Formats: sequence, C-alpha cells, structure tokens
Amino acid sequence: MSETAAEKPMFTCSSCGFECHFEYFGKKPPFSKSVVLLEDAYVIHDPFSPNSGHLTLGGQCCLCSTNICVAQTCSIFYTKRFCISCVEKNTEEFPDEIHKDLQRKDVSRS
Amino acid sequence: MDRDRKRSRHHFEKEKPSINERERCVVWEDHRSSLDELFFRNCDLIKRGSQEYKDFWLFLERYEAFHNKRHVEKNSREKDSKDRTSSKLGLPISYDRRYKINVALLSKDVRDVTGFSTTGTKKVYSSSDKKSGRHSRELSKEDFLEFKSILLFYIDFCQKQKFSKLVKLKKDQANLPISHFREQIVNAVGNNQAVIIAGDTGCGKSTQVPQYLLHAGFSQIACTQPRRIACISLAKRVGYETLNEYGSQVAYQIRFESSKTLGTRILFLTEGLLLRQLTTDPTLSQYSVIVVDEVHERHIHGDFLLGVLRGLLQARADLKLVLMSATINISLFSGYFTGAPVIQIPGRLYPIEVRYQPPKVEFSSSSRRSERLDPTPYVRIMQLIDHKYPSDERGDVLMFLSGMAEITAVVNAAKEYAQQSRRWIILALHSSLSVDEQDKVFDVAPEGVRKCVVSTNIAETSITIDGIRFIVDSGKVKEMSFDTEAKMQRLREFWISQASAEQRKGRAGRTGPGVCFRLYSENDYQAFSQYTTPEIQLVPLDSIILQMVALGINRIREFPFIEPPPASNVENSIHTLKQQGALTDDEILTPIGQMLAQLPVDVVIGKVLLIGSVFHVIEPVMIIAAALSVQSPFTQKMGYDSVVASLRQPLESDHGDLFTLLNAYDEWLQVKSHGSSSRQWCKRRGLEEQRFYEMSKLKRQFELLLRDHHLLDPEGRDEDEDERDREKDKRRELKRLKRDHRKTARKTKMLKLDEDELSGGEEQQEEETKTDIRDLEFKLTHDLDKLEAGSTARRSFTLRDINLLKIILCSGLYPNLALPDENNTNKRDSEQLFHSKSKQFLQVLPTSVFANRPQLLQLTDTSVKYQLLTYVSLLETSKPFLVNAMRVPALQTLLLFAHSLDTNGDLTRFVVDCWLEISLPDNATGQKVVSAVQQLRVTWARLLKLRFEEMKDIPERTSATRRNKELDLESHLANKLSEFLDSDVSYSLRRLLPSESRYLYLGPLRQTQNDREFKDAFPFAGGSEPHPTKGGVRVNEYLTYNCLQDTVMAEAASAAAQYIAKHWRCEKCGQKMLVTVLERLQHQEECQHEEPVDPNDSAGAEQSQTTDKSAAVDSSIERLRKPHFCNTCQTQFSFTSTEILKHKKSHAAASTT
Ligand SMILES: [Zn+2]
Ligand SMILES: [Zn+2]
Repeated sequence: MSETAAEKPMFTCSSCGFECHFEYFGKKPPFSKSVVLLEDAYVIHDPFSPNSGHLTLGGQCCLCSTNICVAQTCSIFYTKRFCISCVEKNTEEFPDEIHKDLQRKDVSRS
Repeated sequence: MDRDRKRSRHHFEKEKPSINERERCVVWEDHRSSLDELFFRNCDLIKRGSQEYKDFWLFLERYEAFHNKRHVEKNSREKDSKDRTSSKLGLPISYDRRYKINVALLSKDVRDVTGFSTTGTKKVYSSSDKKSGRHSRELSKEDFLEFKSILLFYIDFCQKQKFSKLVKLKKDQANLPISHFREQIVNAVGNNQAVIIAGDTGCGKSTQVPQYLLHAGFSQIACTQPRRIACISLAKRVGYETLNEYGSQVAYQIRFESSKTLGTRILFLTEGLLLRQLTTDPTLSQYSVIVVDEVHERHIHGDFLLGVLRGLLQARADLKLVLMSATINISLFSGYFTGAPVIQIPGRLYPIEVRYQPPKVEFSSSSRRSERLDPTPYVRIMQLIDHKYPSDERGDVLMFLSGMAEITAVVNAAKEYAQQSRRWIILALHSSLSVDEQDKVFDVAPEGVRKCVVSTNIAETSITIDGIRFIVDSGKVKEMSFDTEAKMQRLREFWISQASAEQRKGRAGRTGPGVCFRLYSENDYQAFSQYTTPEIQLVPLDSIILQMVALGINRIREFPFIEPPPASNVENSIHTLKQQGALTDDEILTPIGQMLAQLPVDVVIGKVLLIGSVFHVIEPVMIIAAALSVQSPFTQKMGYDSVVASLRQPLESDHGDLFTLLNAYDEWLQVKSHGSSSRQWCKRRGLEEQRFYEMSKLKRQFELLLRDHHLLDPEGRDEDEDERDREKDKRRELKRLKRDHRKTARKTKMLKLDEDELSGGEEQQEEETKTDIRDLEFKLTHDLDKLEAGSTARRSFTLRDINLLKIILCSGLYPNLALPDENNTNKRDSEQLFHSKSKQFLQVLPTSVFANRPQLLQLTDTSVKYQLLTYVSLLETSKPFLVNAMRVPALQTLLLFAHSLDTNGDLTRFVVDCWLEISLPDNATGQKVVSAVQQLRVTWARLLKLRFEEMKDIPERTSATRRNKELDLESHLANKLSEFLDSDVSYSLRRLLPSESRYLYLGPLRQTQNDREFKDAFPFAGGSEPHPTKGGVRVNEYLTYNCLQDTVMAEAASAAAQYIAKHWRCEKCGQKMLVTVLERLQHQEECQHEEPVDPNDSAGAEQSQTTDKSAAVDSSIERLRKPHFCNTCQTQFSFTSTEILKHKKSHAAASTT
C-alpha cells in the first residue's frame, strides 16, 4: 500500500464521469476484513473514518459490463449491479419498489 | 466467489419471513451489552465506542420509529410474492430492501450464530445477557437476524452518505477557479525549475497545487506557510481532499510538533522551519519540490528563504520551486526569478461595493490632539446597515481598527448601540485575547441579529471569518518597527497600503456580494503606498544574520535579498552579534554562535540558555527562556478585573517580571500535579493555559538540543526495555487521543444576544467535564513528578540562588539595562522613570511588579544599594516601555558585563560603557573590586571556553577528568560570584550627562606616541597598550586604566596614587612585590590568565614558576623606565610609559592655563 496516488489505477464511471483512484477491485477488500461484497467492486479504504473500513466507488454492470459508479443516478444494486440504461431496457424484470426508486431519482435530478 | 453470493442469497430467503412474523417489542437498548459483544468487536467494521457506533444507535432509534408505522402495510404485501423470481434475469420479484445492499457481514460471531440456528439452540443470544437479567424477554434468533439486517441498512446508508461526500468533494475541487489550470501548472513545473502562480483569495492555490503535483507523480513536496496555524489547517484539508485525512501522506511540521512519517509526501511547514532545516541539510535534499506560499506577504523568513532557494536552484538541477502569491507586485518576483513562467489564476470573489466615507473633521473637538479615537462614525455605519438592509438578510460586519485602545473605544460604543437596537452582537478580536475568546468570532449570531467583529489587522490574513458581508475599514494599522539607534521596537499608527486596503475589502466577498465602507477619502486611498513595507525593513536582523553566517553565507552584506534591508541595520546586527560573542571580530561564527544559530529563539534568549547550561541551573533558565519565546500567558482582559488582579498577586515576584513568569509556570505545575483543574486555575487568573503548554514543549525542545550538544547531562540512566515499552504505549495512547480529539474539535456555537463578558456557569461546567486533551497530552509527554519536584525546589530558592540566576540572565540581556531616575522617590507610582543608555524616560509596563511597588527599586537609607532594571526589550506605544523587567544589583552587574570599564588613576572612578559612572570611596576599595572582577571575568571566560570551544573533541568531553575539571571550575566560579554579589561595597552611581563626554577622557596624547617604544616599556604586560581614543592604558579588552579626567579636586590624589608603589602580595601566585596601581592590574591580568594552579601538580613546578616571576618583578620597575626625551621642555628623562603620559599631561595643562 506504499504506492503513491499517481501509481494507483483510476476508476471512471462511464455514466457520470466520476473519477477516483481505486485501491482494490473484487469482493474482499483487504482493509475491511469483516465484510464480503456481493459483487466485484471498485473500492477504496474509507477516507472519512479513522478506523479501517471500505468505501465502494462502483462496480461493473452485470449485463453490459461497463464500469459504473454507485450514485443512484448511475446504477442500482438489486442482488446484482445494473447500470441505469440496462435497468431501463429491462424495467419489467424489476419489482415496483425499484421503479418507484428510479422515478423518485428522476424527480430529484431534474 | 460465486458461492459467497449464493450463500448470502440463501440467507436472505431464510431469514426474511421470521422478521415479519415476530412481534415488535424488542427494546434493543436493553440488550446493548450482548449486541455489543456480537457485532461491535474490535475486528468488526463498526467498533464499540467509535463515532460510527454512536451514530448507529441513533440510526437504530430512528429506524425503529419509522418502521413501526409502516409495519402493517408492508407485512401483508410481502407475503404473497414470496420466492418468485423474474423470468429473464432471475431477480426476486418479491422486493426486499436487503436485496439492494451489496455487502454482507462476515464476522466470526455471525457465523457461529448462524451455525447454531440450524440446531435451534437459542442460548447464544442470551448467554451474555446475565447482567440485564431482569428484562423479561431474551433475544431470539429472529431478533438477532433483524438486528443484523438493520445493521446492514445502516452500513449501506453510510456507504451512500460517504459516497456523496466523496462526489461533492470532487465536484468542489473541480469548481475551483484553479482547476482549469491544472494541466498548465503541472506542465510548467515539469518544464521549468521555478514557476510563479499568482491568484487571489479563494482561487484554491494553497490546497490544490500540492495535490496537483502529487497526482502528477511528484513526491517529497514541501509547502511553506508564513503562519503555523495555516500549516496545521492546510495539512488537514489537503489530507481530507486527497482521501488521506487519517493517514500521514499529507503532514505538517511546526515548531512544537510534527505529524510527519516516512510515508509523508506533502509536508506543510513554516518558512522559519525550512530555513532551520538548511543547517542540517544544506541542499534540502529531502525535498524534490518546494512550494513557497504567500510570498507577497513578505515576511522576513520568506524573503530570506527566496534568496537561499534562488541560489539552491543552481546547485540542484533536480529541484523544483513553485512560488505562490496573491496578484500583488508579481513583477517583483518574476524579476527576481528570471525566466520563471507566471500563471495567473482569477480569484473567486463576489462583487464588492466600495464606499468612501471620510469622517467629517470636527474642529470643536474638546480633546487637544484627539489622541483617542472617535467611535461615532463606526456606530453610524451600524445604524446605516440597520436602516438599509433588512435584518432577515444575513451578513456580518468586520471592522478593521489599528490597535487595542481603538478597538476598546469602538466596542464600548457599539455595545451601547447594540443594547438599544438588540440587533447586534459585538466581538473584539486581537492577538492578546485568549484562544477561546478569539474562537468566539467563528460562532454564529441568532436569526435577525448581526455579529460585528472589531479587529486588528489579524483578520486581514491570519484569521478568516465566514459570512462577512460588510467591511468597515479605518485605513489605519499599528505597525511594529525597530529603531536600531535606540534598540527599541516602536508600535506606531500608519495609513495602510493600497494592497492592504484591497485585502481588507476582499474579506467581504468570500461568500456573497459585499459592501466595504472606507473611513477615508478616495484621495487618501490614492496617496497610500502601493505595497506594505516588507518585514525585513522593520525588524532587527540579529537572528537572520546569525543564521546566514551559520549557513556559511560568506558575504552577508551582499546577500541577494529580493529587496535588501538598510545597510545600517545589517551593520548594527553584526555589531550586536559580536557583542554577544556569537561572531568574532572577523565575522566568523564562534562556537557559541554555532549553538545560538540552532536554538529556535532570539539571540539574547539563546545566550541566556547557553550560560544557564554552563552553571547547571538550567531548569529555571529554560523555563524563563521558554516564557520569553512564546506570547505572555498573562492576558489583558478588557476592563481590568480586580479579582483577577488579586489572584495574580501571589504569582508576582518582587525580583521582576522574569521571576513572575517562572512563578506562574511553577504554580501551574503544582496545580497540575495535585490533580486540580489547571484549566480552571488559569481561567480565574486570566492566564492563557495554552502558553504554558507551549512553554513546556519549547522547554523540552531546549533540553533535547542542549543534550545533543553535550551541554546538558544525559537523561537519567539508559532506559531499560520496560521503560521503552511504556514509552511506546504512551505514544500510541497519545496518537489515539489526538485522533479522537480531532473528531470532537470545537463546534461553532450560537452566540447569545445578552451574553456577558464572563460567560455563564453552564458553559463553564460543560467545558470542565470535557476531557482536556492538552492536559492528557502534557501528562503523557512529561514526567510530572519530576517537574513538580523541580517546581517545589524552586520555591525554596535562597537569595543566593536567585542572585546567581539573575547574573545568568544578565549575561544574555546585557546591555539591556536601565537606571531609575534620581527623582523617582518624589514621583507617583505611575510616573516612575528609567533611562537606558540609548533611550531616556522609559517606564515599566503597568502590569509589571515595579509599576505597583516602586519602593522595590528605591534606595534605602541604611545601606545604599543601587539597583538597575534589566529588560528583554523596549517597546514604544504611547510612551516608551521596558518589557519584562528584572531588578539587579548595579555595581556587580555592571562590572561583570560591561563592554568597557574605564578608570581613573587611583581606581575610585569607573565609567561603564561610556554612560554610567561608579564612584568608590577610596583606592583600597577600588583595588579590591577590580581584582575580584578581573578574577571572575577570566574564570568565566575560561569556563565558557572549556564548555564551548573545545566541544568538538567529544570523546575528551566525556572523559571523567575533563568533566571534573569543568565542574570544579564551575563551582569555584559560582562561589566566587555569590561572594562578589554579597560583597558590601559602598559606592555611588550616576548617569553621565551628555555635556560631560567632552571632558571624560584624557584622550590620546598630542604628540604621536611611538608605539614601539611604548610596547617596549611593558615587557611583562603583553597586551597593554595605550587606548587610541581614550588615552590611558588598555589592560585587557574591557579595562582601560587611567584614562579618565579627574575633577581638579580629585586630580591631585588620583595623580599621586598613580605613582605610589605599594607592597602587595598577589593572591593568585603568592608573590610579594612593590608595584604601582597599573603594574598591579597588569600583573593580575596576566596572572589570572595562567592556568589555574592544580593542587595535584608537584609543588616543584609551582616553585619554579614563582621564582621566575619574582625575579622578573623585582627589577620590573626599573626595567619599565626607558630613556625619554621631552620635546617641550627639552629634557632627557628616565620614565615609565605612565610617567611619560603624566609628564605630557602636565605640559598640556600648563599650555591651557
Ligand atoms: Zn456515475
Ligand atoms: Zn449495463
């Protein structure tokens, strides 16, 4: 973990362009031993806590495999990670609660 | 990995129904201890006791409240769609919030518990619940699972929150004006050795440029700041922005503390500190990029640093330099670093309307010179704001006044208005307020009320207050300048510069559009100087020049400063450094100078420390030196409080302010070691506790430095392993404490409209219960028992101890001496006057013990003992004041430290440094005194030499014989000094009048003295020669014999004494001889310089020496006589040199009559 920021690889969200160097990709972030992630995610150590812990930046859409951030306007997690455009293409697959969630976000976004 | 996912899915489906079937009546709080043990252990994501943990329980409360409401509805809906999945993607149709969470908990306990669940055993959940046995219901498996899922919701909630925080952070960075220049900056630094970045407040240069460089692959980046406080806050901010708030990649280093580790890439440090690092690392090889921020402020260290760095760029081709400045006088810097590209960044200030409102000149004003500031215009602007701007439009006021008195005047008037209008809260802001009081300006005013901060120029750059909409600018500033002639700091009021006026104005436009009222005309503004005078033109240069010499800079006078200081100031400082023994006459660093350059304090204070180490009374000396190097702990509250004054009184020492500081620190230690609240103790006495902590840290630093140079005995025995472990534990504990403390940093409070100066008891109590991090830190880093013991020991100091301490302090402070005025006895307390050599009519500060008890300095009738005041500095405000005064015995201090001592023929008159005259009753007293002084000064010099000059041979220093030799000499000297201080000599002391200087000295002989002839005349007094201007004979570097013109009355006696040879036995070598006064002085001087007689040496050696000597002396008088032909009386004489002088004088006297 002694590499400098410049050497860390960059995570870029294909939807909103959010950029951040990530420290780990996978399910078991080494700096957060008591959790397991349910997806392969781009993770950094929790920068806002003095203790160990992780922060998920994003993951890969399980359908189109693009890198996507966890912002509610970019992706959702419903047992798997879906980018918003894939969710929109498959709306019928998701329960009503998810649709409501998405509508709420649309309202708040505009 | 796939298995993991399946397993988690499996969990969800199993757990789900149970939650809904269960009755909701669990009070989680009752089971907190068992839940703690299951979910919040040290290996878990959320640790018991952490902030997240506390937040979770709050979350839980809210969650429960929310879900109890929606419970029923949810329950019925979820049942029917259970277990179905969607056709294409296989997603569960039945919605559960937990499907939206991408994380599962994986802790040992969780697995244990789930294992048990299959067997149906419930024991685990309740096993640890014995303590709360009275609760009716134990936790069931379902409860446990529900708790777990709430915890998951919380974790998910935190993830979302933190992610938005991260997004906002990135967005804020991108929105800074400087972000558009990121590539340009990185490229410029890549392609050039020096780059100048100019941008105004709010452009983001201080926080962003270091990050840009870090992300571009630069490492080991040093960023200098003029102010310590900025180093800390910037390191914190940049650490946060680089997502490394809790790491040490971004660190700071200031005088007292450092957060730096091996992993540090960006280091914020003060300009002064970087300069100090040059002594151990001349090319600053530990850094590859140096960013010098706020260069436009032109602090003396910044200016010097720029000069050094400009040279360093040539020596180190790999070094990158980035100068950052406001958009002020950029051409000056680009001219200094030729070829350096300038990148200009627009600021982000909102528009600010400027209104010139010069106060009308009122001729009928009653005050003679209107010295007091009229607060009316300031209150008028408050009224205007009330009229013109609706009170629901927020925006506070910041007023710039020149000084404390002006602030007080405005604050009082404004408070009166505030009481009527009930729309204002008035706060003063200046550097002599306590830290807590200063912090008040960051608090917010309640709705409909404005905050009005009345400040010195401290709020111009050092302190940034948010939410300011209105500026009221007096256009004045009180600036310290240094009068090199009088050696006095002078605080005077000036018009500010245009640059400064703009800076003040800009403080209104940080968060929205603002208004700036200027209480001067536009013409005045046009007449202001363009830029503020750089500090280097205003302050004494002693320290900086010493540092230059220590850094091996050869031609000090030609150092390429960006704007050089006046040559006379440089010369003055070089002279001072020579006087202090830091530089030789050839301006080469002495060993003492070498040490002084490394001490992070003024030359004078450093000297005191070094002498203190020589005499092994270092503890009190270090405390006093530390006290003089930080701001005074004695705060000046507005409206002086009689309670405070009476509580402070026991701390006052009648020896003077330096001892009062020592007492205050010692008492503070006592309070601490007795476990009482030192914070309370300080508060009641109006003492700023922070200063005591700073003193402790500085003292610790002195110890380390002196120890490094073997000037202090090594610390105790070598610590064993246990001790080292304990040290390690302490350090770990401290780190943890600090980390926790950072989270609970001061929160802004709501100001109250009718808040009294003395804040209510409620607030005080709250403060009391709060853990005092500084107290803990102090106790962890210091051996309190040891300190307390020292403090107790100092309480029982004898007068003898105190006198020795005074002499040590004087050795550094000399020639800062002032003589009480002859007429003080007839004057009121407040009118006591003092005179130093360079400045007359000085007063002691009203807080000094001598202001309240002038009788301490008055001559008593029984035994006439003159006392002088030594002082640390002179300060002229409305009047010239002595700062940090201490009384010392006059005769002894003067004779021990005088740079020049001039005597008459029979040693009954001494002129000290050409301004004071000591008269002794007779020749015998004179002989005795001079003999003692010669002896003491020679021994003193020898001891210093032993300690400092031969320090380089360290192995020899540590040898026992060497140490014993030193210790013997030291205790011998200490005894002799005490004897000398106790000696009861009657004398009188007076200041010489300026008119007397013409007749003071005999002056050089009219006819040119033949030097060679003269030297021949003194075969055994090697160094003696006539003084070139004063006449007489120079016995050594400070003593000139027989150069004073006596009054006609005294002349006869003095003249006679000069020739009378008396039988005398030298105490030192035991010789008996028949000598004149001069011969005796010369013998003493020579004899003292001989190696001290070693009692262990064979008596034979001593014998032979003695015989040699006496042989020389027997014939000495005759041998001194040389043929001399006097041109005036055309006669051949056989004269000693002294006789020649006398003879010539007789001709001179005859010709004038
Ligand atoms: Zn995104
Ligand atoms: Zn997709």
